[in-house]
Amino acid sequence: MAMTQKQRILAAARGEKLDKLPFGARIDVWYNYHSAHGTLPDRYKGWSQVDILRDQGAGAQMRFFSLTREEYRDMEVVEKHDPPYITTEYRTPVGTVSKKEIFDTSEGPWIKYEMEKLFKGEQDYPVIKYIMEHTEPTDNFEAFNKLKDEVGGDGLVMTAPGGLWSPVQRVMREIIGYELFFYELADRPARVEELMEVMKELDRKKLKVAIGCDLEVFNICANWSDDIHTPVFRKYFTPWFREVVEFLHSHGRLAMAHTDGEMRRLNPLFAETGIDIAEAITPAPQTLVPMKEFREQMGDGVTLWGGIPSILLEPMYSDEDFDRFIINMFKEMAPGYRFIVGMGDNLPFDGDINRVGRVVELIEKYGRLPVQT
Amino acid sequence: MADLAQVARALDEGDREKTVQLTEELLKAGTSPTEIIAKGLQAGMGAVGEKFSSGEYFLPDMLMAARAMKAALEVLKPALEKTGIPTIGKVVIGTVEGDMHDIGKNVVATFLSGNGFEVFDMGSNVSVQRFIGEVKAKQPDIVGMSALLTTTMPVMGKVIKALEENGLRAKVKVVVGGAPVTQDYANYIGADGYAHDGGRAVPVCRQLLGK
Repeated sequence: MAMTQKQRILAAARGEKLDKLPFGARIDVWYNYHSAHGTLPDRYKGWSQVDILRDQGAGAQMRFFSLTREEYRDMEVVEKHDPPYITTEYRTPVGTVSKKEIFDTSEGPWIKYEMEKLFKGEQDYPVIKYIMEHTEPTDNFEAFNKLKDEVGGDGLVMTAPGGLWSPVQRVMREIIGYELFFYELADRPARVEELMEVMKELDRKKLKVAIGCDLEVFNICANWSDDIHTPVFRKYFTPWFREVVEFLHSHGRLAMAHTDGEMRRLNPLFAETGIDIAEAITPAPQTLVPMKEFREQMGDGVTLWGGIPSILLEPMYSDEDFDRFIINMFKEMAPGYRFIVGMGDNLPFDGDINRVGRVVELIEKYGRLPVQT
Repeated sequence: MADLAQVARALDEGDREKTVQLTEELLKAGTSPTEIIAKGLQAGMGAVGEKFSSGEYFLPDMLMAARAMKAALEVLKPALEKTGIPTIGKVVIGTVEGDMHDIGKNVVATFLSGNGFEVFDMGSNVSVQRFIGEVKAKQPDIVGMSALLTTTMPVMGKVIKALEENGLRAKVKVVVGGAPVTQDYANYIGADGYAHDGGRAVPVCRQLLGK
């Protein structure tokens, strides 16, 4: 019996040999935008994302936010909705902090963006620490299972134990904010490190809950880029990843990171983390790094998922340019094992959906394994 | 006694306190503020930018240097009140409408101001109309635009069209950047320059102004 798209993707992730390159495609930015604006192509009006991907012949790569939800005890959490803005205030016995987020999928992106971070200054450390220590994760399996059933064997649901970020990255990107994080790390390293430890403890709890579902591949970190800073990465990120990977492997699961940024300086560190899959690999011309270099730097033990930069799906690149790029990319990845063709990281809103199907055709013709150079 | 090379070095190391202390000492000793800026602070920022572009430095190294520079400029501010800070060009900069991401844009803005440009930072989610209004009001030499999302990238092209429609295009150079933006895309929408990162934005802008 023929393997399903999901089986093919998982086989490549485990380093097993296949007859041709697997392909898992992400189109949620394109789909959300056109659904909201009523501009889906006539043929696909009223269709689901998974059905569109089935029609194009690609495996579905479906994003789901988190396997756990956060519940808060011994504090009052007040949320105010003023679409597209959400303001959340955390009133604790040691003080109050608040954040303001914007959430609107109509332009494509599917996650909230914090316009105003939780951390404003030194006085907020004890309050945020209190919040994290009094947060209890509960499972979000019902919603996850619904999507998993919808996808079936036609792709993979990509999700995480507790949201997008690893704990240190959550402190950096979500809680404090990128620039202020580095200033705080320089000025008050002990306070920042204490917050990282509290966040890690919360993530350990989330992992213990999340492992109760039957997800095969856990996303444990997102939006990697050189701006994470290699020394900071090595000191604060790598030990955490090793711990999580060990935990997941002991339960027979795989670990994945969403590595869609400028990666030249982080690539050599990837193998040190033990993470199995680097997903959303975005090569030149969108970043500085060609696919061949990704493979050389990350080594043969890591499965790479990606290779098609979003920009290539834009109308400024002709069909001929697109074909040439894809065929050449396959050759760069020869012999092609431990490689899943995918987007870096999405089909843009003005991209051509039929290029997804075109990749399937090109795999049939040029993506037989081992790929010939 | 402190010298200008020490200021440049302290800034290169991202040492805010030392940069401020050396700047104060030089000012007290009679060194002109413009000389401190040109041969101390801007020299230091130049070195940081080069090290970033060559891969030796990371974004946080640039942020630390920029913070030291800002603090030193505060020290010089009273002395510069009469003459103003010397500039090599005016830049209006912003992240385009629909896009809230501002890290890259902030770094570029900081680096441009650290290297002698007068920067008007409009923040993120800047509409086409706001760009046009700011160009009319500030009459900059350069308009800088950033987008992190493929969804918002096309807004940069809309701003360029609006500059044309308002008779402003010939008066400004347009530089674009951001994670999904490439040189090809910059050419496609008719921008004059493309900067892959903050370090490269400075030479690109200098080159466009012939300085």
